[in-house]
Amino acid sequence: MKRLARHAGQLAAWALFLVIIAAFAMGPAFSPVPEGSGELKISMAHLAERIEPCRPLTEEERAELPPTRRVTEVCERGRVPTLVRLRLDGELIIDRLVKAAGWQEDGRAYLLEFQPLPAGQYELELALRDTPREEGYDMQHHFNLALEPGDSALLEIGDGDVVLRLPERR
Amino acid sequence: MSGAQERALPGPARRLLARLEMPLSRAFDGVHNPMHHLGALTIFFFYVALVTGIYLFIFYRTSLEGAWASVEYLTREQWYAGGIMRSLHRYASDAAVITLGLHIVREMIRGRHKGPRWFSWLTGVPLIWIVLWFGISGYWMVWDELAQYVAVSSARLMDWLPIFTDPMSRNFISNEAVSSRLFTLIAFIHLVGLPIIAVLAIWFHLLRVRRPRINPTRKLMLGSLVALLVLSVLMPVYSHAPADLDRVPLSLDIDWFYLAIFPLMSVTSEGMVWLIAGGGTLVLAALPWLPPGRKTPAAEVHLPDCTGCGFCAEDCPYGAIDMVERSDDRNFKLEAKVNPDLCVSCGICTGSCPSSSPFRQRRPLTTGIEMPHFTMEDFRQQIDIAAEKARGAVLVFGCDHGPRIDRVAGPKTHTVSLPCVGMIPPAGIDYAMRSTGYSGVAIAGCEGCDCHHRLGDDFTRQRIERERQPSLRKRVPRERLLTVWMKAGDETRLDRQLTEFGKHLADLPGDEQTSDSRQSGRREEVQ
Ligand code: HEM
Repeated sequence: MKRLARHAGQLAAWALFLVIIAAFAMGPAFSPVPEGSGELKISMAHLAERIEPCRPLTEEERAELPPTRRVTEVCERGRVPTLVRLRLDGELIIDRLVKAAGWQEDGRAYLLEFQPLPAGQYELELALRDTPREEGYDMQHHFNLALEPGDSALLEIGDGDVVLRLPERR
Repeated sequence: MSGAQERALPGPARRLLARLEMPLSRAFDGVHNPMHHLGALTIFFFYVALVTGIYLFIFYRTSLEGAWASVEYLTREQWYAGGIMRSLHRYASDAAVITLGLHIVREMIRGRHKGPRWFSWLTGVPLIWIVLWFGISGYWMVWDELAQYVAVSSARLMDWLPIFTDPMSRNFISNEAVSSRLFTLIAFIHLVGLPIIAVLAIWFHLLRVRRPRINPTRKLMLGSLVALLVLSVLMPVYSHAPADLDRVPLSLDIDWFYLAIFPLMSVTSEGMVWLIAGGGTLVLAALPWLPPGRKTPAAEVHLPDCTGCGFCAEDCPYGAIDMVERSDDRNFKLEAKVNPDLCVSCGICTGSCPSSSPFRQRRPLTTGIEMPHFTMEDFRQQIDIAAEKARGAVLVFGCDHGPRIDRVAGPKTHTVSLPCVGMIPPAGIDYAMRSTGYSGVAIAGCEGCDCHHRLGDDFTRQRIERERQPSLRKRVPRERLLTVWMKAGDETRLDRQLTEFGKHLADLPGDEQTSDSRQSGRREEVQ
């Protein structure tokens, strides 16, 4: 009798072990975005203008350089931080001044944002300032976004172009 | 006695834990209680994951297009082998998280993270991260919607740290951005990098633990394997739809054992996850010193009684004793030397020292190695104290961490609680029966494979059974000796066993012989 009880106990222990694993190994389900939503990814890898423009070397300056290094112009490395403003249906959702990457701030300016959005129609207005100017923008784009549930749209800001990509409709 | 207050007695949390574990001990016969083998079970589940993982890798294709399809092939077409292997791989890994979690909580409640044991605790902390990385990297490999969620979320977590200028997550912004080489990298991390790191980290974790129990009992290995197999058949693991970075997964059946941090990140923020993970790690790592405790006394070597036999060094569960060149002029080659930083105050060394014999005449009684807070003199005094009442009574040796023997002390018992029953020198049992005249000796120690000091129960058993030096003399009547192994809180059962033992002793013939030696009060020199 005692042996039987012991075996039953062992069985119960293993069963509990299984139930705990089974309960959490594949669920309960989790939704990364609210029901009926999608997301907009805003990704930027953008090379802004130099703070100081490149300048041609004079003949004397060239003569001082070793023969194999006689370039025609010199450029300061630093680049202007890129101002990114994105409006979604008129509401400003991104307003960031993004520094160029690198110690010398001479690389691209990178930005990546994930914006969960309920499915629907949106208007996107993107404005970039990437030159030393104080006012106004150097690039402006306007897009219409038709987001369906589960869509992950991508607004990709490159060096010279900006594209809005939506999943292919199957 | 030189200081009972220096002995760390179990608090209410430890007693509660013991009570909660008692049903499992009843079912699994104590020794096989899975709670006594949590570290070893974790290692066993890794073995299962390793073997099944090797099988899966044979069919796995490390490419963007091939990864999902190859796992799908294993799951659907080869369900009878690959599918089961996949499920076993996942469930064994999940089981490892459960045993690991319990291992941490249990060691903490039992206070085994404090004092000289800090090393095992601290080196255990990185293992939590390694185990999590193992799981997370494994989920990438399937390249289904869940993998996509895990990949994007882990990249976002990394991007929160000021490491990358070009955000890592940009690798996952579109299907074109993902490269097949990523799968080669992840497969390398999951299959080669992390296993090597894990083995090294476990080795480091056990560096200060002598004779670590790295395998659970066979019964447990078999039981858990069968259980996982049953689950694999009843609830086979499946993949989500293939990853598509142009879509966000709307519902994911996630593995909460490994991936819970990602939903946490989704509902809070990357910063919050780092705060909890980083803060939690720091607090966990600092626990051995929170609050700072008093240093436990370390064993002391008494050279005039040390013959350099090395038994104590052999038996010390924490490798705190080294045999070094003799520093006095006695004609022995070696002497024992204690490293106080490693000594956990268990006194097992006293039990293993052949000089530990209460038969010896000298006063105070000394031995080769002993605990300053419970010396051999204390030991003999504790036995002698009730010598007048010894006839017909049972001497009960207990352990501070086992059942509370003071609760069972009746008129026919005299109890002596020790830091560990492994401290009892076999000659002490002999002495109690022959010279003091107790009609029987009972030893009540921690349950099998659950000795607070890891090996005290094993050594005591082996010494009694003459499998280990110093062994209990043959002349000691084994029928007058009772050993019981149980948890703190099981005093009622102990009481019952002692009552039965008392009856058994009363029925034994030849009580005269014991009383003769008691009356003669003879003490003899053993050495
Ligand atoms: C992969 C994860 C781990 C494995 C496989 C593992 C395995 C083990 C094993 C086999 C033992 C020896 C048991 C014995 O023979 O008495 C042990 C002891 C121990 N472990 Fe772990 N462990 C892991 C993680 C951890 C973690 C995360 C912690 C705490 C933060 C921890 C704390 C301890 C402590 C305090 C001991 C006791 C050492 C002693 O008795 O002094 N372990 N572990």
